[in-house]
Amino acid sequence: MKLKSVSKLPALLTVVEARPLTDLDEVELSGCYISDLLSDVLANAQPGVLWVTIHTHRNVVSVASMKDISAVLFTCGRKPEAAIIAEAAEKGIMLLSTPLTTYETAGKLWKAGLR
Amino acid sequence: MSVAIPVEKKKTAARIEWHAGGNKRLNGVQARLTGKARSPAVALEKPFNTGNSDEPMPPAPAIEKTPSAGEKRQVSFAQMLVFELRVRDAMTSPPITAIATDSLRSIQHLMKAHRISGVPILANDVLVGIISIEDIINALDACHINEPVEPWMSRKIVTLRDHFSLVRAVAEFDRHGYGRFPVLDANNRLVGVITRGDITICLMHQLERRAEEAVAKEAALVATRAADEKAHRIVINTDVKSGDFESAGKLSQRIREVLRARGVAPEILRRAAIIAYEAETNIIIHSLGGRITTAIDAIKVRIKAADRGPGIENIDLAMQEGWSTAGPLARELGFGAGMGLPNIKRCADEFVIQSELGGGTRLQAAVFLHKAETRL
Repeated sequence: MKLKSVSKLPALLTVVEARPLTDLDEVELSGCYISDLLSDVLANAQPGVLWVTIHTHRNVVSVASMKDISAVLFTCGRKPEAAIIAEAAEKGIMLLSTPLTTYETAGKLWKAGLR
Repeated sequence: MSVAIPVEKKKTAARIEWHAGGNKRLNGVQARLTGKARSPAVALEKPFNTGNSDEPMPPAPAIEKTPSAGEKRQVSFAQMLVFELRVRDAMTSPPITAIATDSLRSIQHLMKAHRISGVPILANDVLVGIISIEDIINALDACHINEPVEPWMSRKIVTLRDHFSLVRAVAEFDRHGYGRFPVLDANNRLVGVITRGDITICLMHQLERRAEEAVAKEAALVATRAADEKAHRIVINTDVKSGDFESAGKLSQRIREVLRARGVAPEILRRAAIIAYEAETNIIIHSLGGRITTAIDAIKVRIKAADRGPGIENIDLAMQEGWSTAGPLARELGFGAGMGLPNIKRCADEFVIQSELGGGTRLQAAVFLHKAETRL
Protein backbone atom coordinates (compact mmCIF):
# COMPACT_ATOMS: atom_id res chain seq x y z
CA MET A 1 0.00 0.00 0.00
CA LYS A 2 1.76 3.06 -1.23
CA LEU A 3 -0.87 5.65 -0.64
CA LYS A 4 -2.33 5.24 2.81
CA SER A 5 -5.04 7.77 2.08
CA VAL A 6 -6.97 5.57 -0.39
CA SER A 7 -6.74 2.45 1.72
CA LYS A 8 -9.24 4.06 4.04
CA LEU A 9 -12.79 3.43 3.03
CA PRO A 10 -14.42 6.85 2.77
CA ALA A 11 -11.58 8.03 0.56
CA LEU A 12 -12.23 5.18 -1.86
CA LEU A 13 -15.76 6.34 -2.44
CA THR A 14 -14.76 9.22 -4.62
CA VAL A 15 -12.18 7.17 -6.55
CA VAL A 16 -14.75 4.69 -7.84
CA GLU A 17 -17.84 6.92 -7.64
CA ALA A 18 -19.32 4.56 -5.06
CA ARG A 19 -22.32 5.04 -2.87
CA PRO A 20 -22.30 3.60 0.64
CA LEU A 21 -25.18 1.17 1.39
CA THR A 22 -24.33 0.85 5.08
CA ASP A 23 -22.72 3.22 7.57
CA LEU A 24 -19.01 3.49 6.88
CA ASP A 25 -16.27 3.35 9.45
CA GLU A 26 -12.78 4.65 9.05
CA VAL A 27 -11.28 1.27 8.18
CA GLU A 28 -7.79 0.47 6.95
CA LEU A 29 -8.05 -2.02 4.07
CA SER A 30 -5.33 -4.61 3.71
CA GLY A 31 -5.81 -4.90 -0.04
CA CYS A 32 -8.40 -5.88 -2.58
CA TYR A 33 -9.76 -9.14 -3.95
CA ILE A 34 -11.95 -9.47 -7.00
CA SER A 35 -13.95 -12.62 -7.63
CA ASP A 36 -17.45 -13.76 -8.32
CA LEU A 37 -16.82 -17.27 -7.12
CA LEU A 38 -17.53 -17.71 -3.45
CA SER A 39 -15.25 -20.70 -2.98
CA ASP A 40 -12.46 -18.80 -4.63
CA VAL A 41 -12.90 -15.97 -2.14
CA LEU A 42 -12.98 -18.48 0.71
CA ALA A 43 -9.79 -20.06 -0.56
CA ASN A 44 -7.75 -17.07 -1.63
CA ALA A 45 -8.92 -13.75 -0.22
CA GLN A 46 -6.97 -12.33 2.70
CA PRO A 47 -8.79 -11.04 5.77
CA GLY A 48 -9.41 -7.32 5.85
CA VAL A 49 -9.53 -6.77 2.10
CA LEU A 50 -12.06 -4.92 0.00
CA TRP A 51 -14.00 -7.54 -1.96
CA VAL A 52 -15.25 -6.47 -5.36
CA THR A 53 -18.02 -8.57 -6.89
CA ILE A 54 -21.19 -8.44 -8.97
CA HIS A 55 -22.98 -10.88 -6.67
CA THR A 56 -25.56 -9.42 -4.33
CA HIS A 57 -26.89 -12.61 -2.81
CA ARG A 58 -26.97 -13.23 0.94
CA ASN A 59 -24.11 -15.71 0.58
CA VAL A 60 -21.75 -12.83 -0.18
CA VAL A 61 -22.35 -11.53 3.34
CA SER A 62 -21.79 -15.02 4.81
CA VAL A 63 -18.54 -15.47 2.94
CA ALA A 64 -17.32 -11.97 3.77
CA SER A 65 -18.11 -12.54 7.41
CA MET A 66 -16.29 -15.88 7.39
CA LYS A 67 -13.16 -14.37 5.89
CA ASP A 68 -13.27 -11.25 8.08
CA ILE A 69 -13.64 -9.13 4.97
CA SER A 70 -14.66 -5.72 6.18
CA ALA A 71 -16.06 -4.20 2.99
CA VAL A 72 -17.77 -5.41 -0.16
CA LEU A 73 -18.06 -3.27 -3.27
CA PHE A 74 -20.76 -4.22 -5.79
CA THR A 75 -20.05 -3.15 -9.36
CA CYS A 76 -22.27 -2.30 -12.33
CA GLY A 77 -24.62 -0.43 -10.00
CA ARG A 78 -25.84 -3.59 -8.30
CA LYS A 79 -27.41 -3.46 -4.87
CA PRO A 80 -28.54 -6.27 -2.58
CA GLU A 81 -32.00 -6.38 -1.01
CA ALA A 82 -32.63 -4.32 2.09
CA ALA A 83 -32.69 -7.42 4.32
CA ILE A 84 -29.22 -8.41 3.15
CA ILE A 85 -27.90 -4.89 3.70
CA ALA A 86 -29.31 -5.01 7.24
CA GLU A 87 -27.68 -8.40 7.82
CA ALA A 88 -24.33 -7.07 6.66
CA ALA A 89 -24.65 -4.03 8.92
CA GLU A 90 -25.41 -6.32 11.83
CA LYS A 91 -22.28 -8.34 11.12
CA GLY A 92 -20.16 -5.21 10.78
CA ILE A 93 -19.58 -5.60 7.06
CA MET A 94 -19.69 -2.41 5.05
CA LEU A 95 -21.38 -2.48 1.66
CA LEU A 96 -20.83 -0.10 -1.24
CA SER A 97 -22.11 0.09 -4.78
CA THR A 98 -20.45 1.62 -7.85
CA PRO A 99 -21.90 2.20 -11.32
CA LEU A 100 -18.49 1.27 -12.83
CA THR A 101 -17.73 -2.16 -14.25
CA THR A 102 -15.49 -4.52 -12.34
CA TYR A 103 -12.64 -3.84 -14.76
CA GLU A 104 -12.93 -0.05 -14.45
CA THR A 105 -13.19 -0.40 -10.70
CA ALA A 106 -10.09 -2.57 -10.52
CA GLY A 107 -8.11 -0.13 -12.66
CA LYS A 108 -9.09 2.92 -10.63
CA LEU A 109 -8.41 1.23 -7.30
CA TRP A 110 -5.02 0.01 -8.46
CA LYS A 111 -4.15 3.42 -9.80
CA ALA A 112 -5.20 5.06 -6.57
CA GLY A 113 -2.76 2.85 -4.70
CA LEU A 114 -4.88 0.10 -3.16
CA ARG A 115 -2.64 -2.88 -3.73
CA MET B 1 -96.08 -58.71 34.98
CA SER B 2 -92.53 -59.48 34.16
CA VAL B 3 -89.71 -57.00 33.82
CA ALA B 4 -88.32 -59.16 31.08
CA ILE B 5 -90.62 -57.85 28.39
CA PRO B 6 -89.66 -54.19 28.21
CA VAL B 7 -85.98 -55.02 28.52
CA GLU B 8 -86.17 -57.60 25.77
CA LYS B 9 -88.12 -55.21 23.57
CA LYS B 10 -85.58 -52.51 23.97
CA LYS B 11 -82.79 -54.85 22.95
CA THR B 12 -84.67 -56.16 19.95
CA ALA B 13 -85.32 -52.63 18.78
CA ALA B 14 -81.65 -51.85 18.88
CA ARG B 15 -80.78 -54.94 16.90
CA ILE B 16 -83.40 -54.35 14.23
CA GLU B 17 -82.06 -50.88 13.66
CA TRP B 18 -78.68 -52.39 13.06
CA HIS B 19 -79.79 -55.20 10.76
CA ALA B 20 -81.86 -52.85 8.66
CA GLY B 21 -78.79 -51.87 6.64
CA GLY B 22 -77.61 -55.37 5.96
CA ASN B 23 -78.25 -58.98 6.41
CA LYS B 24 -81.69 -60.43 5.78
CA ARG B 25 -80.54 -64.04 5.82
CA LEU B 26 -79.52 -63.58 9.40
CA ASN B 27 -83.02 -63.71 10.85
CA GLY B 28 -83.64 -67.06 9.23
CA VAL B 29 -80.45 -68.48 10.66
CA GLN B 30 -81.32 -67.25 14.08
CA ALA B 31 -84.82 -68.66 14.02
CA ARG B 32 -83.47 -72.12 13.37
CA LEU B 33 -80.40 -71.83 15.46
CA THR B 34 -79.74 -74.74 17.75
CA GLY B 35 -75.98 -74.82 17.97
CA LYS B 36 -75.56 -75.45 14.27
CA ALA B 37 -72.26 -75.71 12.52
CA ARG B 38 -72.46 -72.27 11.02
CA SER B 39 -72.00 -69.60 13.61
CA PRO B 40 -74.33 -66.65 13.41
CA ALA B 41 -71.38 -64.53 14.41
CA VAL B 42 -69.90 -65.11 10.98
CA ALA B 43 -72.96 -63.75 9.28
CA LEU B 44 -73.18 -60.91 11.73
CA GLU B 45 -69.74 -59.83 10.74
CA LYS B 46 -71.11 -58.76 7.37
CA PRO B 47 -72.74 -55.43 8.12
CA PHE B 48 -69.34 -54.11 9.14
CA ASN B 49 -67.96 -54.85 5.73
CA THR B 50 -70.59 -53.14 3.67
CA GLY B 51 -69.62 -49.86 2.11
CA ASN B 52 -66.00 -48.89 2.58
CA SER B 53 -63.20 -51.36 2.17
CA ASP B 54 -61.73 -51.95 5.59
CA GLU B 55 -62.17 -49.22 8.13
CA PRO B 56 -64.99 -46.84 7.44
CA MET B 57 -64.26 -43.85 9.58
CA PRO B 58 -66.89 -43.85 12.25
CA PRO B 59 -67.80 -40.57 13.85
CA ALA B 60 -65.04 -39.91 16.35
CA PRO B 61 -65.95 -38.61 19.78
CA ALA B 62 -66.63 -34.91 19.51
CA ILE B 63 -63.84 -33.96 21.91
CA GLU B 64 -61.26 -35.34 19.51
CA LYS B 65 -62.61 -33.39 16.61
CA THR B 66 -62.63 -29.97 18.16
CA PRO B 67 -59.75 -29.68 20.59
CA SER B 68 -59.17 -26.26 22.08
CA ALA B 69 -55.96 -24.65 20.97
CA GLY B 70 -54.17 -25.33 24.23
CA GLU B 71 -55.02 -29.03 24.32
CA LYS B 72 -54.32 -29.66 20.70
CA ARG B 73 -51.09 -31.56 21.06
CA GLN B 74 -52.26 -33.81 23.84
CA VAL B 75 -55.51 -34.68 22.11
CA SER B 76 -53.82 -35.50 18.87
CA PHE B 77 -51.47 -37.79 20.75
CA ALA B 78 -54.40 -39.64 22.37
CA GLN B 79 -56.06 -39.70 18.99
CA MET B 80 -52.93 -41.19 17.51
CA LEU B 81 -52.96 -43.93 20.13
CA VAL B 82 -56.60 -44.74 19.51
CA PHE B 83 -55.88 -45.16 15.82
CA GLU B 84 -52.68 -47.05 16.36
CA LEU B 85 -53.96 -49.55 18.90
CA ARG B 86 -56.03 -52.53 17.86
CA VAL B 87 -58.86 -54.35 19.54
CA ARG B 88 -56.49 -57.24 20.21
CA ASP B 89 -54.29 -54.91 22.26
CA ALA B 90 -57.10 -54.01 24.64
CA MET B 91 -59.37 -57.09 24.81
CA THR B 92 -59.46 -59.59 27.64
CA SER B 93 -57.98 -62.76 26.27
CA PRO B 94 -58.59 -65.63 26.57
CA PRO B 95 -62.23 -64.80 27.25
CA ILE B 96 -64.27 -66.30 30.09
CA THR B 97 -66.84 -68.43 28.29
CA ALA B 98 -69.59 -70.90 29.10
CA ILE B 99 -71.28 -73.58 27.03
CA ALA B 100 -74.90 -73.64 26.00
CA THR B 101 -75.81 -76.42 28.44
CA ASP B 102 -74.40 -74.64 31.50
CA SER B 103 -76.98 -73.52 34.01
CA LEU B 104 -77.76 -69.88 34.51
CA ARG B 105 -76.75 -70.30 38.14
CA SER B 106 -73.27 -71.53 37.22
CA ILE B 107 -72.87 -68.57 34.87
CA GLN B 108 -73.98 -66.23 37.60
CA HIS B 109 -71.22 -67.67 39.78
CA LEU B 110 -68.77 -67.34 36.92
CA MET B 111 -69.63 -63.66 36.55
CA LYS B 112 -69.27 -63.10 40.25
CA ALA B 113 -65.92 -64.89 40.41
CA HIS B 114 -64.46 -62.93 37.51
CA ARG B 115 -66.31 -59.69 38.17
CA ILE B 116 -67.71 -59.58 34.66
CA SER B 117 -71.19 -58.73 33.47
CA GLY B 118 -71.43 -60.75 30.27
CA VAL B 119 -70.31 -64.17 29.07
CA PRO B 120 -70.08 -65.48 25.49
CA ILE B 121 -71.71 -68.92 25.07
CA LEU B 122 -70.04 -71.56 22.93
CA ALA B 123 -71.36 -74.73 21.36
CA ASN B 124 -68.71 -76.97 19.80
CA ASP B 125 -66.22 -74.11 20.10
CA VAL B 126 -68.41 -71.87 17.99
CA LEU B 127 -69.87 -68.67 19.38
CA VAL B 128 -73.65 -69.10 19.53
CA GLY B 129 -74.79 -66.49 22.00
CA ILE B 130 -74.00 -64.10 24.77
CA ILE B 131 -75.57 -63.75 28.16
CA SER B 132 -75.55 -60.59 30.20
CA ILE B 133 -76.22 -59.98 33.85
CA GLU B 134 -79.56 -58.48 32.79
CA ASP B 135 -80.57 -61.74 31.12
CA ILE B 136 -79.71 -63.58 34.33
CA ILE B 137 -81.75 -61.17 36.44
CA ASN B 138 -84.67 -61.72 34.07
CA ALA B 139 -84.33 -65.50 34.44
CA LEU B 140 -84.02 -65.22 38.19
CA ASP B 141 -87.12 -63.08 38.28
CA ALA B 142 -89.00 -65.75 36.38
CA CYS B 143 -87.59 -68.53 38.63
CA HIS B 144 -85.51 -70.16 35.87
CA ILE B 145 -82.12 -69.65 37.41
CA ASN B 146 -81.24 -73.35 37.54
CA GLU B 147 -82.09 -74.01 33.92
CA PRO B 148 -79.57 -74.21 31.04
CA VAL B 149 -78.51 -70.91 29.56
CA GLU B 150 -79.51 -71.61 26.00
CA PRO B 151 -83.09 -70.29 25.89
CA TRP B 152 -82.11 -67.17 27.83
CA MET B 153 -79.05 -66.04 26.00
CA SER B 154 -79.07 -63.43 23.23
CA ARG B 155 -78.36 -65.01 19.89
CA LYS B 156 -78.03 -61.85 17.90
CA ILE B 157 -74.42 -61.15 18.55
CA VAL B 158 -72.49 -58.18 17.30
CA THR B 159 -68.82 -59.04 17.15
CA LEU B 160 -65.65 -57.08 16.51
CA ARG B 161 -62.57 -58.32 14.70
CA ASP B 162 -59.31 -58.40 16.62
CA HIS B 163 -57.61 -56.20 13.98
CA PHE B 164 -60.10 -53.33 14.26
CA SER B 165 -58.70 -50.07 15.55
CA LEU B 166 -59.80 -48.92 18.99
CA VAL B 167 -61.33 -45.81 17.48
CA ARG B 168 -63.64 -48.09 15.54
CA ALA B 169 -64.35 -50.13 18.64
CA VAL B 170 -65.33 -46.96 20.51
CA ALA B 171 -67.65 -46.03 17.66
CA GLU B 172 -69.27 -49.48 17.76
CA PHE B 173 -69.89 -49.12 21.48
CA ASP B 174 -71.54 -45.77 20.78
CA ARG B 175 -73.60 -47.19 17.94
CA HIS B 176 -74.93 -50.33 19.66
CA GLY B 177 -74.97 -49.35 23.30
CA TYR B 178 -73.71 -52.78 24.38
CA GLY B 179 -71.49 -53.25 27.38
CA ARG B 180 -69.15 -55.69 25.64
CA PHE B 181 -68.32 -57.25 22.31
CA PRO B 182 -67.00 -60.75 21.65
CA VAL B 183 -63.89 -60.50 19.50
CA LEU B 184 -63.21 -62.87 16.60
CA ASP B 185 -59.96 -63.46 14.77
CA ALA B 186 -59.57 -63.92 11.03
CA ASN B 187 -60.63 -67.58 11.38
CA ASN B 188 -63.85 -66.63 13.18
CA ARG B 189 -62.50 -68.02 16.41
CA LEU B 190 -63.55 -66.29 19.60
CA VAL B 191 -60.31 -64.82 20.92
CA GLY B 192 -61.47 -62.29 23.49
CA VAL B 193 -64.03 -59.94 24.91
CA ILE B 194 -63.72 -56.18 24.93
CA THR B 195 -65.44 -53.59 27.11
CA ARG B 196 -65.15 -49.81 27.27
CA GLY B 197 -63.21 -50.32 30.48
CA ASP B 198 -60.66 -52.48 28.62
CA ILE B 199 -60.15 -49.66 26.13
CA THR B 200 -59.64 -47.09 28.87
CA ILE B 201 -57.15 -49.32 30.70
CA CYS B 202 -55.28 -50.06 27.49
CA LEU B 203 -54.99 -46.36 26.70
CA MET B 204 -53.84 -45.58 30.22
CA HIS B 205 -51.16 -48.28 30.00
CA GLN B 206 -49.99 -46.99 26.66
CA LEU B 207 -49.85 -43.41 27.87
CA GLU B 208 -47.94 -44.55 30.93
CA ARG B 209 -45.49 -46.51 28.79
CA ARG B 210 -44.94 -43.58 26.44
CA ALA B 211 -44.44 -41.29 29.40
CA GLU B 212 -41.85 -43.68 30.84
CA GLU B 213 -40.10 -43.85 27.48
CA ALA B 214 -40.06 -40.07 27.25
CA VAL B 215 -38.61 -39.78 30.75
CA ALA B 216 -35.92 -42.37 29.96
CA LYS B 217 -35.05 -40.59 26.74
CA GLU B 218 -34.75 -37.28 28.51
CA ALA B 219 -32.56 -38.82 31.22
CA ALA B 220 -30.26 -40.23 28.55
CA LEU B 221 -30.12 -36.83 26.88
CA VAL B 222 -29.26 -35.12 30.16
CA ALA B 223 -26.50 -37.70 30.78
CA THR B 224 -25.04 -37.09 27.31
CA ARG B 225 -25.16 -33.34 27.88
CA ALA B 226 -23.41 -33.71 31.23
CA ALA B 227 -20.67 -35.82 29.62
CA ASP B 228 -20.34 -33.27 26.82
CA GLU B 229 -20.06 -30.45 29.28
CA LYS B 230 -17.36 -32.26 31.19
CA ALA B 231 -15.36 -32.70 28.00
CA HIS B 232 -16.16 -29.10 26.94
CA ARG B 233 -17.91 -30.66 24.02
CA ILE B 234 -20.60 -28.99 21.99
CA VAL B 235 -22.47 -30.95 19.36
CA ILE B 236 -24.41 -29.07 16.72
CA ASN B 237 -26.73 -31.05 14.46
CA THR B 238 -27.79 -29.18 11.36
CA ASP B 239 -30.27 -30.53 8.84
CA VAL B 240 -29.49 -29.13 5.42
CA LYS B 241 -32.15 -28.94 2.74
CA SER B 242 -31.46 -29.33 -0.93
CA GLY B 243 -31.55 -25.97 -2.75
CA ASP B 244 -31.82 -23.93 0.45
CA PHE B 245 -29.27 -21.25 -0.48
CA GLU B 246 -30.88 -18.78 1.91
CA SER B 247 -29.83 -20.76 4.99
CA ALA B 248 -26.24 -21.30 3.93
CA GLY B 249 -23.73 -19.87 6.35
CA LYS B 250 -25.71 -20.08 9.57
CA LEU B 251 -23.84 -23.13 10.78
CA SER B 252 -20.40 -21.69 10.11
CA GLN B 253 -21.50 -18.49 11.82
CA ARG B 254 -22.40 -20.52 14.89
CA ILE B 255 -19.11 -22.43 14.80
CA ARG B 256 -17.17 -19.18 14.63
CA GLU B 257 -19.10 -17.78 17.58
CA VAL B 258 -18.36 -20.85 19.71
CA LEU B 259 -14.68 -20.93 18.77
CA ARG B 260 -14.22 -17.21 19.20
CA ALA B 261 -15.70 -17.44 22.70
CA ARG B 262 -13.14 -20.12 23.44
CA GLY B 263 -10.30 -17.91 22.32
CA VAL B 264 -9.36 -19.95 19.27
CA ALA B 265 -7.01 -18.16 16.86
CA PRO B 266 -8.82 -16.41 13.98
CA GLU B 267 -7.19 -18.34 11.15
CA ILE B 268 -8.02 -21.64 12.81
CA LEU B 269 -11.64 -20.78 13.39
CA ARG B 270 -11.80 -19.47 9.85
CA ARG B 271 -10.66 -22.85 8.54
CA ALA B 272 -13.34 -24.63 10.55
CA ALA B 273 -15.97 -22.17 9.31
CA ILE B 274 -14.93 -22.61 5.68
CA ILE B 275 -15.14 -26.39 5.97
CA ALA B 276 -18.63 -26.15 7.44
CA TYR B 277 -19.71 -23.65 4.79
CA GLU B 278 -18.37 -25.63 1.86
CA ALA B 279 -19.83 -28.87 3.23
CA GLU B 280 -23.16 -27.15 3.72
CA THR B 281 -23.26 -25.59 0.27
CA ASN B 282 -22.22 -28.90 -1.27
CA ILE B 283 -25.28 -30.53 0.28
CA ILE B 284 -27.48 -27.62 -0.82
CA ILE B 285 -26.20 -27.62 -4.40
CA HIS B 286 -25.57 -31.26 -5.17
CA SER B 287 -27.56 -33.52 -2.89
CA LEU B 288 -31.12 -34.39 -2.01
CA GLY B 289 -30.50 -33.09 1.49
CA GLY B 290 -28.45 -34.20 4.44
CA ARG B 291 -27.14 -33.46 7.86
CA ILE B 292 -24.01 -31.92 9.29
CA THR B 293 -22.87 -32.89 12.75
CA THR B 294 -20.31 -30.59 14.26
CA ALA B 295 -18.57 -31.64 17.46
CA ILE B 296 -16.36 -29.11 19.16
CA ASP B 297 -14.24 -30.12 22.13
CA ALA B 298 -11.11 -28.76 23.76
CA ILE B 299 -8.84 -30.28 21.12
CA LYS B 300 -10.57 -30.08 17.78
CA VAL B 301 -13.59 -29.33 15.68
CA ARG B 302 -14.92 -32.37 13.89
CA ILE B 303 -17.37 -31.82 11.07
CA LYS B 304 -19.25 -34.78 9.64
CA ALA B 305 -21.48 -34.19 6.63
CA ALA B 306 -23.71 -36.94 5.30
CA ASP B 307 -26.21 -36.56 2.50
CA ARG B 308 -28.85 -38.77 0.93
CA GLY B 309 -27.35 -38.91 -2.50
CA PRO B 310 -27.10 -39.03 -5.46
CA GLY B 311 -23.42 -39.55 -4.68
CA ILE B 312 -20.25 -38.56 -6.51
CA GLU B 313 -19.39 -40.50 -9.63
CA ASN B 314 -15.68 -39.78 -9.55
CA ILE B 315 -14.20 -38.53 -6.29
CA ASP B 316 -10.77 -37.91 -7.81
CA LEU B 317 -12.34 -35.58 -10.37
CA ALA B 318 -14.44 -33.88 -7.70
CA MET B 319 -11.31 -33.25 -5.67
CA GLN B 320 -9.73 -31.44 -8.64
CA GLU B 321 -9.91 -27.70 -8.46
CA GLY B 322 -12.21 -26.22 -11.08
CA TRP B 323 -14.20 -29.37 -11.75
CA SER B 324 -17.86 -28.86 -10.93
CA THR B 325 -21.26 -30.34 -11.70
CA ALA B 326 -23.18 -27.44 -10.20
CA GLY B 327 -26.32 -26.37 -12.04
CA PRO B 328 -27.03 -22.93 -13.53
CA LEU B 329 -28.85 -21.58 -10.45
CA ALA B 330 -25.93 -22.42 -8.17
CA ARG B 331 -23.49 -20.86 -10.65
CA GLU B 332 -25.61 -17.75 -10.90
CA LEU B 333 -25.27 -17.35 -7.16
CA GLY B 334 -21.51 -17.64 -7.28
CA PHE B 335 -21.21 -21.31 -6.47
CA GLY B 336 -19.91 -24.07 -8.69
CA ALA B 337 -16.32 -22.86 -8.81
CA GLY B 338 -15.25 -26.44 -8.44
CA MET B 339 -13.36 -25.45 -5.34
CA GLY B 340 -15.59 -26.74 -2.56
CA LEU B 341 -13.97 -30.09 -1.84
CA PRO B 342 -10.41 -28.85 -2.50
CA ASN B 343 -11.12 -25.96 -0.10
CA ILE B 344 -12.32 -28.37 2.58
CA LYS B 345 -9.27 -30.54 2.13
CA ARG B 346 -6.94 -27.56 2.28
CA CYS B 347 -8.55 -26.23 5.45
CA ALA B 348 -8.72 -29.57 7.26
CA ASP B 349 -6.07 -31.23 9.40
CA GLU B 350 -7.85 -34.51 8.82
CA PHE B 351 -10.05 -35.24 5.84
CA VAL B 352 -11.93 -38.32 4.65
CA ILE B 353 -14.57 -38.55 1.93
CA GLN B 354 -16.60 -41.54 0.86
CA SER B 355 -19.20 -41.60 -1.85
CA GLU B 356 -21.04 -44.00 -4.02
CA LEU B 357 -23.09 -43.16 -7.08
CA GLY B 358 -26.71 -43.81 -6.21
CA GLY B 359 -25.86 -43.71 -2.50
CA GLY B 360 -24.92 -40.79 -0.32
CA THR B 361 -21.73 -38.89 0.28
CA ARG B 362 -20.07 -38.84 3.69
CA LEU B 363 -17.40 -36.40 4.50
CA GLN B 364 -15.46 -36.02 7.69
CA ALA B 365 -13.02 -33.25 8.42
CA ALA B 366 -11.25 -32.14 11.56
CA VAL B 367 -9.43 -28.98 12.54
CA PHE B 368 -7.14 -28.95 15.57
CA LEU B 369 -7.72 -25.88 17.64
CA HIS B 370 -4.30 -25.24 19.04
CA LYS B 371 -1.95 -25.94 16.23
CA ALA B 372 0.81 -23.37 15.77
CA GLU B 373 0.76 -23.81 12.00
CA THR B 374 -1.21 -21.22 10.04
CA ARG B 375 -2.68 -22.23 6.77
CA LEU B 376 -4.87 -19.44 5.53
